[in-house]
Amino acid sequence: MTSNPPNTAETVLRAESLTKRYGDILAVDRLSLEVRAGEILGFLGPNGAGKTTAIGMMCGLLRPDAGETFVRERPVRGGDPEALVRVGLAPQSVILWPKLTCLEQLEFVGEMYGMPRPNARRRGRELLETVGLAEKAGRLARTLSGGMQRRLNLVLALIHDPEIVILDEPEAGLDPQGRVLVRDYIRSLARERGKTVILTTHNMDEADRLADRVAIIDRGLLLTLDTPEELKHRVGEGDVLEIEVSDVPGGPGRGAGPFLLPALAELARARGGGTGAVEALAVSRIGDTITLRAPDAVNLIPPVLDALRLAGLRPGAVHLRETTLEDVFIALTGRSLRE
Amino acid sequence: MRLLSIFRKTLREQSRDLWLLALTLVAAPVFVVLYWLLFIGGSTAYGVLVLSADHGAVLADGTVFSAGDELLAELGKVTYASGSPLLRVGRASDLESAKRTLANRDAALLLVLPEDFSRGILAFREATSGGGGAPVGGSDGPSDLPAAPTITFIGDLTSAAYAVSSVLTMATLDEYLQTATGQIRPVQLAEEPLGASGVRTEFETYVPGLLILSVTLLIFLAAMTVAREVETGALRRLRVTPMTSFDLLAGISLNQVLVGITGVLLTFGTAYLFGFRSQGPLWVAVLVGAVTTLSVVGLGLVVAAFSRGVTDAFVIGNFPLIFLMFFSGAIYPLPRTALFTLAGHNVAVYDFIPATHAVVALNKVLTLGAGLGQVAYELSALVVLSAVYFAAGVWLFQRRHLRRN
Repeated sequence: MTSNPPNTAETVLRAESLTKRYGDILAVDRLSLEVRAGEILGFLGPNGAGKTTAIGMMCGLLRPDAGETFVRERPVRGGDPEALVRVGLAPQSVILWPKLTCLEQLEFVGEMYGMPRPNARRRGRELLETVGLAEKAGRLARTLSGGMQRRLNLVLALIHDPEIVILDEPEAGLDPQGRVLVRDYIRSLARERGKTVILTTHNMDEADRLADRVAIIDRGLLLTLDTPEELKHRVGEGDVLEIEVSDVPGGPGRGAGPFLLPALAELARARGGGTGAVEALAVSRIGDTITLRAPDAVNLIPPVLDALRLAGLRPGAVHLRETTLEDVFIALTGRSLRE
Repeated sequence: MRLLSIFRKTLREQSRDLWLLALTLVAAPVFVVLYWLLFIGGSTAYGVLVLSADHGAVLADGTVFSAGDELLAELGKVTYASGSPLLRVGRASDLESAKRTLANRDAALLLVLPEDFSRGILAFREATSGGGGAPVGGSDGPSDLPAAPTITFIGDLTSAAYAVSSVLTMATLDEYLQTATGQIRPVQLAEEPLGASGVRTEFETYVPGLLILSVTLLIFLAAMTVAREVETGALRRLRVTPMTSFDLLAGISLNQVLVGITGVLLTFGTAYLFGFRSQGPLWVAVLVGAVTTLSVVGLGLVVAAFSRGVTDAFVIGNFPLIFLMFFSGAIYPLPRTALFTLAGHNVAVYDFIPATHAVVALNKVLTLGAGLGQVAYELSALVVLSAVYFAAGVWLFQRRHLRRN
């Protein structure tokens, strides 16, 4: 569960029309948003959507072709130290100095942010403690396991106690246990330590569980930005019924598609009793999965299965679930996040 | 078939790393061209300075005979088969400045002709032809021949250029004297070593070159250390901090300089253990080595700027290394064509290579016994070149790896 920061929270980071082009590819297209103090903002989008480029421009790693990022109203573009020290970045790929110990890495990066060495050392020890690496403080980074390296990679972004923490795919490469640990840690950063967290992910579950607000980005464009609940609410009420189908040999198979989906929608509408739920109905087919959202979806299962069989399709696994951010993305783009 | 598959796969990978492939392939041809350019005016012309105190002699018909001038003219006629000069002959005005020129390696040999050179030659010529009037005397000559004038050869006896130029000069001198007098070498020859070059063992003559080698190899370490930060992506992490490119490169360079100075001290220490002795103050030689280290590290930064990783740094680093070793005079002398003169020193194209000055300075100190004042020019040049290369390295590295783009 997440609790949203109040809308009145002050803006700590503001992006204005950020645009970045790589040759013919428009990686980020006029991205504008405001990030509020203490919130967790998730950037959700498929691989190559422009998430990493967007946060690169926000933390000063990349120079935008147009637009500007302001941290507490100080521009990031010129490498203003006052702006830079307020931001910590944990890059997606693990970036460590293999021949430095865990504590030495933290000390070094702290000093790069202008911290006196004793302070950096003290805070480094605290951070290692919080991510379960205290016993590894004197170990060379190259001797750590992959999961430990990722945790060290994460706390290197926090050594200088930044106000804003930017995490690029923080759960990538972690085992389930590591994901839980990191997720709890990210949550505690915002809830207990008052940090503002911006994270990128292509994992809808991660965004849904962690983020106070989610920005959905695709092909460089910011499609929408709101709380996960509001985003899900927007695409419709009710549950989602997913049915895997395969073609019956000799049957109309995919050829039934143009007629099938409207028929299923009509079926659901009839079952819905012509109430206000009609607006919430949605039927789509992506690959071999037919997705149908409707109130009281569970009662639609038998007639829908019959309809599919009549259409010459063989129903397979049936899943009934709540609406997710994946559904939001599909509603916005007509594609799956995993495509 | 697997062999062919591996061959094809390696070929594909290599063709997609065109920068390194091109560098590897063009290295030797580039150096062929450079060497051709170096020798475009012919082969090496060895510098011979002639300090002539010869007063000449008045002949019976009243004309003045100058054996010194004739010898100078003969030396100027020594050429390669192509006709290009073998000896670059010039007159010296005084002994001290001539010795300085030798120490600076702007000339290889100083030939000192005595006051009575012409009179002696004339006396021998007349004695041989049976004429009278020749002054009689001389302790070493035959009792019926005049005293033999003494010609002095001065140079750095450890220098290969001196060996070549003195042999060529001696042959020319012998030929001239035989023609002029009919005698075989009717003069006495003396050799005066420049500085302490006469007492150096062969081992000791190699030590300055080895010292240069130990310093120049630092170019790899410096370039690879910086390139590793690029390769591991560490720069991505550092670029979001307020760290500047100067902070990064100066910090790494300081470390490399320390390594370089340690290397210099170790080289000297090892050489000392095996009998090497410096003729000049050792601390000056160490200082020269330290400043050379600075400039080599500066070059290493330039290399790192063009490298995307450690392998690139290693391959690219070979280019400046070859310049440092083969175009600086550390291994063998190269023809010097002065571009301009600065503070009384001829500045040639090699003078933009730090090792050139290091070679001269170390030779002066270690072999010729020079002190700090006598290597001030070389030290100044090294400091300037270090600053230039370091600044260039920082600028290039900033543009290529640290600029937010």
